[in-house]
Amino acid sequence: MRLIQANLRATVLLVLTAIPAVAHTGNLDGGFLGGFAHPLFGSDHVVAMVAVGLWGAFLGPPPMLVLPIVFPLVMAVGGVLGIVGVPLPAAELAIATSAIVLGLMVASAARPPLWVAAAIVGAFAIFHGYAHGAELPAGTDAAAYSIGFVTATGLLHLAGIALGLTVRWPAGRMGVRGTGAAIACAGLLFLWRLA
Amino acid sequence: MKRLAGLALALPVLLPIEEACAHPAFAGATGFYGGLVHPLFVPTHAIAILSLGMLIGQQAPHWRWPLLLTYAAGLSAGFAAMVSAFAPRFSTEALLAATAIVGGLVALARGVPWLTGILALGVGIALALDSSPGGISVREANVIIVGTFCGAVILLGVLLEVAAILRREWQKLAMRILGSWMGASAILILAWQLAR
Repeated sequence: MRLIQANLRATVLLVLTAIPAVAHTGNLDGGFLGGFAHPLFGSDHVVAMVAVGLWGAFLGPPPMLVLPIVFPLVMAVGGVLGIVGVPLPAAELAIATSAIVLGLMVASAARPPLWVAAAIVGAFAIFHGYAHGAELPAGTDAAAYSIGFVTATGLLHLAGIALGLTVRWPAGRMGVRGTGAAIACAGLLFLWRLA
Repeated sequence: MKRLAGLALALPVLLPIEEACAHPAFAGATGFYGGLVHPLFVPTHAIAILSLGMLIGQQAPHWRWPLLLTYAAGLSAGFAAMVSAFAPRFSTEALLAATAIVGGLVALARGVPWLTGILALGVGIALALDSSPGGISVREANVIIVGTFCGAVILLGVLLEVAAILRREWQKLAMRILGSWMGASAILILAWQLAR
């Protein structure tokens, strides 16, 4: 319980001191490093990506790694919608909601059928991808930028999985579930800031 | 060895990457050497070869070298077409579309040899047509083309052998994740190219 409280406090502090709670700053330079940094500077994107990895840990291997396979591909479809300018309403709202839903899945150690988990993650991936696609800076080296941004997103998933591997120990399990609760709280905060 | 193999797979993704267009990969790299390293330093080419290497590496061992030869035949056909002054407008887009499919197949771990063969041929042709050296003498252009052919074949050969030795379950899954990254990147770049 103490661990969960500590996690919650740390996350709230992190979120409050973070860069504005939208997925993307939109001010980054092009190139690989610009693309790589883009997902890392949006706290709502970061927590949702880490949550995907953490949730995978509760699904166990090999499904653990299915979500990080599904996410980038579906995210790219969302990215295409953003790049070509197809309107997708309430994308930021959906991104904040993704942190809440995915955080709750982790906090409750939910183990739905794999296709359900993949569908939930895939649905949110569309919105994350859309936000990135819509905010790609002009004059960017598209290839390097895209590779950087997909790589960073994937590495956030892997970071979540690495953290999630601690669920084999009781304290680790509590810690991961506590982190999930903290992510859900952060999602609420993102939602509140959007209101 | 296995760590080295993992690093070799990850390297093209992590390398600082230059702009994707046909030309010497970076200042000072001209001639045969410029052509040789060209596929490694042009992001769209690097992800195409990396994805194809992983897909071929996922096939049964007896398919690997025939598929590599198919790819080399595609490269030869593409370069032959280029030398014959055939200048397609959408070679980059075709390469990216093929890479998206290849990446998706790697992610699904559903490599079908005949489909992989068609994709290897297509990637070879598109990659060659997208590697036209411009604004130089015919002799130097030919040297660059030979260098690019060698670089593209060697790189794929190394990658598919590396992919083939990754046989543990987690290594196969890591490859599938990398495939999904490559596929996603190709889809995004393609959308960007078409929306420009």
